[in-house]
Amino acid sequence: MSHHTDENHLDGGFWRAVIVMGIISALGMWGVVVFPIENYLKEAAQQAADIDWLFRFMAFFSVPILVYVNGFIIYFVIRYRTRPSDSIQATGSPIHDHSALETWWTIIPAALMLALGLLSYKVLPEYYGAQAAAVTMEAIGHKWDFEFRYPGLAQSVYNDLYLPIDVPVTMDITSSEAQADDAVIHSFWVPEFRIKQDMVPGMVVPIHFTPNRLGTYRIICTEFCGIGHSRMWGSVHVVSQADFNTWFATQQKQSANGGPKVNVASGDAGAGQALFQQKCSVCHNAAPFDQRKVGPGLADLFDDPQHPALVDGKKADPADVAEILEKGYTGSMGSMPNMQANGISSTDIANLVAYLKTLHK
Amino acid sequence: MAVVEVSHATSEHIHPPPETFVQKYVFSFDHKVIAVQYFITTGLFFVLAGLLAELMRAQLAGPNNHVLSVTMYNQAYSVHGSAMVWLVIIPVLTGAFGNLIMPLQIGARDVAFPWLNMFSFWLFPPAGILLFGSFLLGAPEAGWTEYPPISLQEPAGTSMWCAAIFLVGVSSTITGLNFLVTIIKMRAPGMTWTRMPLFVWATAVTAFLSFIATANLSAALLALFIERTFNVPYYDPSRGGSPVVWQHVFWFYSHPAVYIMVLPAFGIISEIIPTFARRPIFGYKAIAYSSTAIGLMSFMVWAHHMFTSGLAQWVQLPFMILTMAIAVPTGVKIFSWVATLWAGKIRLASPLLFVLGFLSTFTFGGITGIFLASVPADIHEHATYFVVAHLHYVLFGGSIFGIFAGLYYWWPKMTGRMLDERLAKLHFWTMFVSFNATFLPMHWIGLFGMPRRVATYDPVYGGTNLFISISAFVLGASMLIFAYNALRSAKHGELAGPNPWGARTLEWMIPSPPPYYNFDRIPIVLAAPYDYGQPLPYRDVAPEYLAAVPRF
Amino acid sequence: MASHAVTLNDAQYEEQRDHRLLGFLFFLISDCIIFSSFIFTYLYLRSAAPVWPPPGVTPADLYMAGVNSIVLFGSGATMHFAMESFKHDKHLRFYWWMMATILLGSMFLGGQAIEYTNLIHENTLWTTSIYGSSFFSLTGLHGFHVFIGVCFLVVVLNQTLSGTYTKTRYFGLTAASLYWHFVDVIWVALFSILYVWR
Repeated sequence: MSHHTDENHLDGGFWRAVIVMGIISALGMWGVVVFPIENYLKEAAQQAADIDWLFRFMAFFSVPILVYVNGFIIYFVIRYRTRPSDSIQATGSPIHDHSALETWWTIIPAALMLALGLLSYKVLPEYYGAQAAAVTMEAIGHKWDFEFRYPGLAQSVYNDLYLPIDVPVTMDITSSEAQADDAVIHSFWVPEFRIKQDMVPGMVVPIHFTPNRLGTYRIICTEFCGIGHSRMWGSVHVVSQADFNTWFATQQKQSANGGPKVNVASGDAGAGQALFQQKCSVCHNAAPFDQRKVGPGLADLFDDPQHPALVDGKKADPADVAEILEKGYTGSMGSMPNMQANGISSTDIANLVAYLKTLHK
Repeated sequence: MAVVEVSHATSEHIHPPPETFVQKYVFSFDHKVIAVQYFITTGLFFVLAGLLAELMRAQLAGPNNHVLSVTMYNQAYSVHGSAMVWLVIIPVLTGAFGNLIMPLQIGARDVAFPWLNMFSFWLFPPAGILLFGSFLLGAPEAGWTEYPPISLQEPAGTSMWCAAIFLVGVSSTITGLNFLVTIIKMRAPGMTWTRMPLFVWATAVTAFLSFIATANLSAALLALFIERTFNVPYYDPSRGGSPVVWQHVFWFYSHPAVYIMVLPAFGIISEIIPTFARRPIFGYKAIAYSSTAIGLMSFMVWAHHMFTSGLAQWVQLPFMILTMAIAVPTGVKIFSWVATLWAGKIRLASPLLFVLGFLSTFTFGGITGIFLASVPADIHEHATYFVVAHLHYVLFGGSIFGIFAGLYYWWPKMTGRMLDERLAKLHFWTMFVSFNATFLPMHWIGLFGMPRRVATYDPVYGGTNLFISISAFVLGASMLIFAYNALRSAKHGELAGPNPWGARTLEWMIPSPPPYYNFDRIPIVLAAPYDYGQPLPYRDVAPEYLAAVPRF
Repeated sequence: MASHAVTLNDAQYEEQRDHRLLGFLFFLISDCIIFSSFIFTYLYLRSAAPVWPPPGVTPADLYMAGVNSIVLFGSGATMHFAMESFKHDKHLRFYWWMMATILLGSMFLGGQAIEYTNLIHENTLWTTSIYGSSFFSLTGLHGFHVFIGVCFLVVVLNQTLSGTYTKTRYFGLTAASLYWHFVDVIWVALFSILYVWR
């Protein structure tokens, strides 16, 4: 059996490998430092830069760990492979412990973890710490829409959130009323803000952020909430204070007028069909009542002897169908979102009614 | 009546060898037969759950695809996740590998309660039937976590899911206490705790986690089932219940379950590396004690799955710190394994290849785990494809690579025949490359805005998703190489002999496949098993097995 | 199956008893976790509720449950005396202590039945509120354990009378006694958090 000592193995070749891995690590770490996250995912709120910094910190120290673990595996497998000249019973070094080495590879990761813990702790209060917010508003998750309530605005805004730039926001996050028997958990995620909060029925969680970059960004639901989850998207528009004021004034005026009236006679069935495929077919089939998805099939809506009345008890005529499309309805069959939630206009409603009428033969 | 020859007072089982077919192969008490039963059933479930994954990838190959309906897609990923966790990884690592190897490695003739062992297996096929049968009544759609309140609103299939997982849970609990009693009480004379093979250490900790944590899951499933069936409020917010309770209770089980799924794989790794590096495992005690530390700490980190659920900040902090702390013993293990390769005489046979694949991918998965532990970063990453990527790096790159390493390693022991080495290497390289091609890009699209559990997505991710889907099909196809190799070995496989790899643990000191009573005489253990180059540390082992000469 | 015909020598019996004892303890630990899970659920729901008990709920009566608790703890004592008698070969005494334990256990179940009837009378059901769901699932789970325990005691008493257990081999009795004490200890926790803590 051959004699093994540390010196045999920690020779020039070993240190060369260590240096090569060091160079690769350094390149990788440099890449982490200069990587333009901003080019792929905008930083549009105050804490986004801090999160990205934290992310860089973690990636920075991950690179050498990955490089050295993989590098040593490859280097050892090549260097210490069994060669044809080796005896069949040849064995490797009998060394099975090295307390200094083991101490170091326990202490260094532990220290890194401690540092990371402290840094994370420093960033954390930006979400939850109480700040002097200029706007305190509510975000409410519905199947499958985001409702936003502004102070001073009678009606809610659906899916399109407008926020003035550089104004701290406190958003009370919750799901649709806990009393609704179809309430589920949603989650409010704005990737560009690096914020996410589950919308839990029965719980109100305030989060804090300050949008600091003009533009339109995505709102995405990240908690599975049913058949419409895949498309539960919204937008947040970060605009200047002046633009925000204009938008807000328009909204206030709309709520005063009660919105434009629907003229059900003027619909275009073709446009209605396209819209039905795009929006309504998530929950409704263009088939008889019993072929339910989330809601009933709508093919015989206007003439179904088994189901003469609509869900609100009224007789199925175009004006009442339009009313449900406009105002929504929550009852024994579940929830039908209103027109703001569905993102449809009065013309769209007329078109849909026209299309639904063509289904009935 | 067969008379059992007893050379030592301990560790013989008392039931006679079976005579009928049913006793031998169906309701067998023999831990080795039960292990093979687990291998076959989990293999079948692995194929089914894998096919579901391929269906999902077909749907996700492009945005707005209609390969599956949205409902079918939701059911597919829920059943895929549930089946992979509860019907594949947990039972194959404990039920199959634990049963096959652990009693042999401690020099026992069977587990402590052979009857319970059989019972525990037979809870498992009905669970599979219930879970896959749930498609008939409307399978669960809310993922393997089945968060209420949405799981309360789903059709009857979710109740079948509850029943299925409850059965698996009972099975897992029984197996856990059975194994722990076996390991505590039935080790061969001389096998002290620090002479135990590391796979046995890992199995002991896993067994402990199984019967502690799983009981808690059983209670939660019972509550969910009662609430769904009798309308009793625990989780329904409209009646005073709290959906967050389920999350706490579920993750109090499911975080330890992550270690139930990976500790035995750690054990497999710790067995294979010294065998093929031909030198002692580096840091035996560090690896054994870090398993124990990981096991205990795994009960204190569950809420890191709930950082966006609205926990108070003072709750989040300790969970974040403990989650980061648990990375330290895991790192110690990885460094020790790599150090075992140092100055070895490495034989790059297929089991070692899979181990090296494991080390590479699991290290990556572990590091992304730290990214998820940091609360502020997790707030951004939670419930995105970043998490999907992370968990597959841990459970596929970790557990499944470990499982295949173990299969290639112990196949000769189990069947008496070798697998073809060239096919094995082909399997490894296709699987390793396609695995990384499938899951690495998911980190990317997750960070930039793709949530998990969606049947369609923003078209900007279309190209990446197509690439992922193609890779996933290759990954699935790579399993065919293994299937062919396994079938081929039954007829054309070279006879293995007792110890083809020249390993030193006790299972290699008896014929392959092992005889009914495992050991003619219970051996006496004189030292830890990994001192390559030293004489074997056993007395009472038949002399022909003592000269361990590797064939590779 | 044929295995039952095997007669064990003393060393084998002791080994088997050791295994079973340890296995049984592990079982009790995991059973304890099941209770803990429901207890956690109860404590969480209770702490999250704005008022406790929820409006319109009449909580269970403390005094009746107190009397019932004394009955159950008494049965723990009689169980202890029964085991002592058995170990000292006093079979007649063992028989009467066991009968007393079974009787007290059954009385506890009877008391619980009366308590349930009263609550149902006042429309406190397990479906009506989170008080009901927690209360009935915890006490119901415990009551189920008491019921199993009483059956267990009847079986081992019967086995003792038919001579299954000897002075050195009585694992079944040990298990029954352990189980009974376990059920007692769980009740201490349940009684404190469900009745005493108002």
